[in-house]
This record gives sequence, C-alpha cells and structure tokens, in this order.
Amino acid sequence: MAHLLWNICRILLITCWGWLNFAPPVFAFCGFYVAKADASLFNQASQVIIARNENRTILTMANDFKGDVKEFAIVVPVPTVIKKEQVKVGNSKILERLDAFTAPRLVEYFDGDPCAPVLLERALPSAASIENKAGARSKADALGVTIEEKFTVGEYDILILSARESSGLETWLNQNGYKIPKGAREVLRPYIRDNMKFFVAKVNLQELEKSDSQFLRPLLIAYESPKFMLPIRLGMVNANGDQDLIVYLLSPNGQMEVTNYRTVKIPTDSEIPLYIKNDFANFYKAMFQNSYNKEGQNVAFVEYAWDMGSCDPCSAEPLNQQELKDAGVFWNPNQVFVTRLHVRYNRNKFPEDLKFRETNNKNLFQGRYVLNHPFKGTIGCKEKNSYEKMVRERQEREIQNLARLTNWDINEIRKKALLTQFKPSGNRPFWETIWK
Amino acid sequence: MILGFMFKSDPIDGRDYQISALVVFLSLGIWWRDWTFDLLTLPCLLLTCLVTQWLWSVSEEFNWKSPTITSLSLALLLRSNNLVVFVLAGVLAISSKFIFQSKGKHWFNPANFGIVCVLALTKDAWLSPGQWGTDVWLVLIFLAMGGMILEKVGRLDTSFTFFMVYGALVLARDVYLGWTLDVFFHQMMNGSLLLFALFMITDPRSIPNNQQMRMLWSALVALVGFVMQFVFYNSSGIFYALFLLSPLTIYLDRLVKDSQFTWQKTYKLVPILAK
Repeated sequence: MAHLLWNICRILLITCWGWLNFAPPVFAFCGFYVAKADASLFNQASQVIIARNENRTILTMANDFKGDVKEFAIVVPVPTVIKKEQVKVGNSKILERLDAFTAPRLVEYFDGDPCAPVLLERALPSAASIENKAGARSKADALGVTIEEKFTVGEYDILILSARESSGLETWLNQNGYKIPKGAREVLRPYIRDNMKFFVAKVNLQELEKSDSQFLRPLLIAYESPKFMLPIRLGMVNANGDQDLIVYLLSPNGQMEVTNYRTVKIPTDSEIPLYIKNDFANFYKAMFQNSYNKEGQNVAFVEYAWDMGSCDPCSAEPLNQQELKDAGVFWNPNQVFVTRLHVRYNRNKFPEDLKFRETNNKNLFQGRYVLNHPFKGTIGCKEKNSYEKMVRERQEREIQNLARLTNWDINEIRKKALLTQFKPSGNRPFWETIWK
Repeated sequence: MILGFMFKSDPIDGRDYQISALVVFLSLGIWWRDWTFDLLTLPCLLLTCLVTQWLWSVSEEFNWKSPTITSLSLALLLRSNNLVVFVLAGVLAISSKFIFQSKGKHWFNPANFGIVCVLALTKDAWLSPGQWGTDVWLVLIFLAMGGMILEKVGRLDTSFTFFMVYGALVLARDVYLGWTLDVFFHQMMNGSLLLFALFMITDPRSIPNNQQMRMLWSALVALVGFVMQFVFYNSSGIFYALFLLSPLTIYLDRLVKDSQFTWQKTYKLVPILAK
C-alpha cells in the first residue's frame, strides 16, 4: 500500500489568497457605481460578509474602491429603512482576515525515509471526509422620491431613499450628481415595487480628512427582515462580462446555501505536481474557470465551510471574539459557522438575485490541494524499488489530476512537472550514492 | 405485421414506473449533481419504511411498493447529517398512513408528513431547494417521466393545475415587479418544484377523488405555497402548503363523492399482430 511507504515528516502550509488579485478589485456587488466620471465605472469583483441569525442581519460591504474617493458613490437596495444607529464603519482588516482564514489552500507533504518505521497517519485529515431633507425634499417629493433618512457615518454621507417610480429615482439621482448607468431604470423598478429602500452612500471628504484612515473603510448595515438575499442584478447594469463575488456567510448553526441556484463544492483534496507551488494563483484561476464551465456557469461554489472555533490545517489564526464582532457576529461568538461562497455571475446565467438559507449542515469543507515531495535521501533497503514505483505512479496521477482540474494541455504539464519531479535513484550517477 | 391496436390490462402498475423514475432521479442527483449523500441513507430509509409498514400491516397484505416510494422520496428531498433523522422521518411517514386515515384515504402525503415533522422536531434536518439547479434538459426528463407515471395513474390534472396556478401567480408577481421573462422561467424550472408537482402532490391516496375537487385542492396548494414562498420568504413553502392542506382532502371527498382510485385499474395500448 502506498501509504505504508511514505511518512510525513512535516507539513508546510502555503495559503494563497493572492489568487484573488486576478479580478480587478472593485466594490459593487449588489449595487452599481454611480461615480461622477465614467472612467471608474468598472466593477468585477467584490467581497461581502453576511452575519445572520434568524431574521437579523448584519451586512458588511468591503470597500476596495481604487479610484479617486471624490468619485465614489454607491446605490444598494435594502429591505427596510435604515437609521443612523443601524450603520457603522468597520475595520478594513476584517475582510483580509476572513479571506486569509477561509482561502483555498495548498499543503505540502514530505515523504519520509521508506526504510524508517512507518507512520500510518497523515498529519492532515482529508477535509472532505471530516464529519463532523426642505427645498431638496420638495423636489424629491415631486419626483416620487422620499428621503427617509439622511446622516453621516464615519467618512460616508448616507441617504436612505424610497421611491414610487424608477424614472423618478433615476432623475433624482442624476439631478443630485449621481451618474446612473444606462439601463438602470428597468432594474430599479422591481426593487421599488417590492417595497425595498435604497441605501445611497458617498464620501464626505471633510470627514475623511479628519479620520486617520487613508482609505475607505467597510460599511456595516444592521437590519431585521425575513428577506435573506443579495441584490446582484443592479450590479450587472454597468458590468462588463463576468463578475466575481465572494460572500462570507456567518451563522450560529451550520452551512448556508443558495436556494435558487445550485451550491456546489469546489474540487478539493487533489494531489497536484510540485511545480504548482510557484504557480498556485494561476492554478486556482484555471481550476475555478474550468469548474465554472463544467457546472454550467450558474452555480455558487463553496470554497470553505467550517466552524469558526477551529481549523485544520489553519491557513491563518482563527478570528478572535473581537474580530468576529467586527465581522458582524451579534450572537455568542463561540458558536459561529462560516461558509465562503464564490459566485461568478453574469446577466445571462444569473437572471435572479441570490437567495440564501441556513441549514443545519455542520459538515466541514475546505478547498485544499496537496503537494507531495519525494524522499531525497539515500534509500538503502529492499523497499527502494516499491517506493520508487509508488512515487512514479503518484507523480503520473498528479499530472493527470492537474490536467483534469485545469483543462491544461497534459504534455505541457509533463514538461513543466519534470523540472521538479523525483528522479528514480537507479538513473542517477553511481557516485551520488557512494559518497553520501 | 401489425393489424391494429387494442387495450390490454397492464400487469405493471403506476407505482412500478414511479419507483423506476425515483431511482433514476436519485442516481442523477448523486452522480451527476454531486450531492453530498451518505450512501447508507437509502438502505436505512428503505429498511425503516418497509419494517414500519410491515409492523402496521400485520393483519393485512404486505405492500412493499408504497414504503419504497416513500423512502425514495425522502432520500431525494430530505437532507441530514444524522441517520436517526432519516429513521424518524421514515417511521413518522409510514405511521401517518395508518394513524391519520379514513376510508382508505390518507390525511397526509406520507413523505411530506415525515419531512415537515423532522424539520419541526429536530435541529438536524433541512431541505435544499437549489439542489437540482435549472437545467432545461433535466426538466424535460422530469416532465417525460412524471407525465408517463401520471398517465398511468390518471392524476395529470393535479400537476397541471398546480403548475398553471403557481405559474400564473409567479408570472403576475414578476410582471408587476417588472422583471424580465427569464426571471420567471428561472423560477419555474427549479428541479425541486417540478419534482414536488409531478411526484408529491399526485399521490392518489392523499388527494381528492373527484377531478374538480382535486383541481380546486391543487390550486389551493399552489396559492398557499406561493404566499409562503414570496410573502413569508420561506424557501420550503410548497412543502408546508401541502402539509397544511392535505387533510382538506378528506372533507372534499365527503363533499363530492367519486370513485376511489385503485392502482390496478390501468390499461395499455398493445398492437394486434398477424399470426
């Protein structure tokens, strides 16, 4: 048996959240940019945290807007009127922390000496198998737009609008300096008719100057509503092509899933060639795209689902109680389950907004890819041949896994894989083994 | 040479078709839709349902088809990490047929009763309405197989009425809100909705005997299901709607009397061959 031959001496964890950099980092998941200059109307990737217990929700919208902050403005449909007390600016680090903690990970194993006593246990269990306001106001009124609330929180000036007609809302936003993309009116209408309100935020430059922060901080919104959804349709108005959305769903009970699209686990626990260590970002991008195509381009991928109290292996320190609170957890912080969903969506494949539900599923899952380093020392026992055979077979399997996962040309993979692959000692010059 | 066609009594009843169809769907779900499905679930459910049926039917002929259908339906719809939940659902589903019944009719659809009870009684069960996705060809298989079975049992009117009423309500909502038609199609092509309409609300033992009453009842299930789903935002609304409205069947049967359904009363068209 293969596992009898390779002992694990140590494990290195290389968690690669840098792969996220492949998509232009812009903030507009469920609303659209209403910047005053067209140049920055470009949205393709966003991150959001939803902490939900029963009908109570705290939504955190990450802000990685890279343009001139004067140009920043956003319109997001929300289920209820939001008052000043329900909005807070968060800590930018929290998204980075959650991202690092839940990112798909690359793990390394080093084969031990096949001649040494055998350790039967892999140090890492397989993740998948683990169980267990007056003038302005009158103008607004004429257009059917009501300013429900107007306040400033941190560096943001916030308006909560309700509207009777989408054309009135569109006109009001345009008159007030928010540049609305073409085609927005049609998409605004369903939210208005569904009695949703509009959370409109732009940057208050004076407040920004007063704060120590050099960049825009995330916005947290707390509300109570049975609606458990993310309005992605509005964000598609000024999007060009596919958009990537990472949703961190925090719940007290178990995994969260999408109810109106399939929720699919990203391929995991695959052994892949060693050279991927230096190319993990490209590997993950290719594998994600390939999986996205195979699943019909209309699914939500689970990249991580785990109890926040533990991790195995840990790609980052688990979030402490204060960090969980910063992420929106308003219940017992010792009882938090995180689900990381990665959705790549476009207008054609995602006609409906994302709807979620909580399940009692406490199964643990992580996107995890394995590198195996062959033993590099001299093998001086009868197990040598069988060990070398096992390594060759494993390396062939790793090449095939990589080709299958990424749809890359297997011959190209073979060429690259040879650079770091194990060479059976029988092909080595005889002196290498004599004078060691 | 085929001389003509004649009707012949069909020895295979609708339930055999239903069992085959449910097995096909379960296989598709596990191997093609990649469900996380503990393979012990099905034998566990089958054993539970069959034993429960046997215990309840000591004095009468043992019927293996009905509990098999119930266990397959539970395996298709119910999700849990705990086998005990499946056992409980199975026992409750089959027992409901014997406890809540009058004149050979069941107050509840057995699988639906089992599902709603474990959702309410345990903290380890859930439904996954998005588990099938909305692939068109899959929808066609569903329709073809469902239609075939329903023709066998003569209850196509129930599914048709449900689709028409539920579809009309969803369409009216979408048109009012101003969504485009693709939103409507996306909502209606949900695999779980189709499975519910074709296999769950068509069980002749728990739906009214009279066709008009049956259509009225089916329309009510669609209406209540729609309200639960789109007004109360309960993604499993249709299952609760069926649970709430099932006992109405008994009242509707008393209101309008009609012949009760029997499984063996089916015929098939066979060719008359020259000898």
